[in-house]
Amino acid sequence: MDATTASHLQELRRGTVVLACLVRLREPDYGYALLESLNGIGVTVDANTLYPLLRRLEKQGLLTSEWNTDEARPRKFYRTSPAGEQLAGVLTADWKNIDRALARLTSGEGS
Amino acid sequence: MTTPAATLTDRYVWAAAHNLPEPQREEFGRELRERIGDEVDARRQSGAPTDDAEFAVLVELGDPAALAAKYLDRPLHLIGPRYYLTWKRLVTTLLAIVLPIAVGAVLLAQALAGAPVGEVFASAFSVGFSLAVQLAFWPTLVFAIVERSPGSGPVDRWTPERLPTIPDDGKGGRLGDLIASLVFLGLFAGVIIWQGYGAPVANRLGESVPVLSPDLWSFWIPWFLVVIGLEMVFAAAIYVWGWNWWLAIVNLLLNVAFAVPALWLFTSGQLVNPEFLDVVGWPWGEAGGIVATIIVFAFIAVSVWDVIDGVIKTVRRRGGSALSLGRI
Repeated sequence: MDATTASHLQELRRGTVVLACLVRLREPDYGYALLESLNGIGVTVDANTLYPLLRRLEKQGLLTSEWNTDEARPRKFYRTSPAGEQLAGVLTADWKNIDRALARLTSGEGS
Repeated sequence: MTTPAATLTDRYVWAAAHNLPEPQREEFGRELRERIGDEVDARRQSGAPTDDAEFAVLVELGDPAALAAKYLDRPLHLIGPRYYLTWKRLVTTLLAIVLPIAVGAVLLAQALAGAPVGEVFASAFSVGFSLAVQLAFWPTLVFAIVERSPGSGPVDRWTPERLPTIPDDGKGGRLGDLIASLVFLGLFAGVIIWQGYGAPVANRLGESVPVLSPDLWSFWIPWFLVVIGLEMVFAAAIYVWGWNWWLAIVNLLLNVAFAVPALWLFTSGQLVNPEFLDVVGWPWGEAGGIVATIIVFAFIAVSVWDVIDGVIKTVRRRGGSALSLGRI
């Protein structure tokens, strides 16, 4: 993949990672497991983006967190907050609008 | 019990956490440990030895300071897009206004103090250089601090009133210049001729005394009149063709042809009629040297500015050509 394509793909995916996190974290989970599961279902994201993103979403009150110390390695579990849930709804609706609009464009109705 | 590999992680976490404010460090350190641990585990599961896995993970994380900046949303640039244009305008304005004034003032002051030429230029250069560094440094420091302080500072808001006027390249725009040049040059030539016959200064016998040395009529006064005539032709050429590099060079040559002989005659005392100096009582005590120096400097400044002005107009015209094509 050339650099131009890569940068446009990155632009396109940037916002979808936020939405994917908010939806996925209705079930509490920790950073690395989230990274694996998102990449596993095809939402491409790298660790350097995801970890700072989780921290930022928590700071904005869209995620809540709790340390789990049951295992040898303490892990921070994130969960979508009510505010995060609300934002996920708004983003999902917008995503569907964009999808419909693009579908109309590609099928020629919009032009 | 600490293994060498664990020490490496400890050092990394410590180095990264120290970029954060004290209250956030502990939480951030735990988060980073979790991340490193999970990534090392993943590598070990795919068969790498623990030490190698740890090393590879830290290499992938990169510079701890850059990583911390990413976690903090802290800018890794000195001045970002929000303030860059304001900063650039301020620094260029300061350099364009303050620097020439300061350097000119130093040149003048040194010359008035009677310093040797080498020393005059050396001190003007050193003052100009250190002033340029200062003018660039302090605004940059302030903007870098503002960039890093929370909240939105007052941003320079752009409004349409700031749009520059499009330079008028047409002959219509140059007609004013032509008239002004011809009138000025005509008056100038007239004054040179008139001072030889009917100057307002008279000696005790009531005869009028020429300002310029009458000896100059043999060669130099005709020379200056010819140069003035060429300047008039040149003004017409500018009107017809507009500024270009050839005319900018001709402008330089004309300025040299006038200024160099005039300055040489003036400084060697051949320009002004000795009888005229007697009548007006020159030299005026202490002030004489200073007045002479100021005249020389003003003269050089006007000539140099004329040459620079020609170059600026040439460059602008070239830069503006795409715009005028767009207007057709």
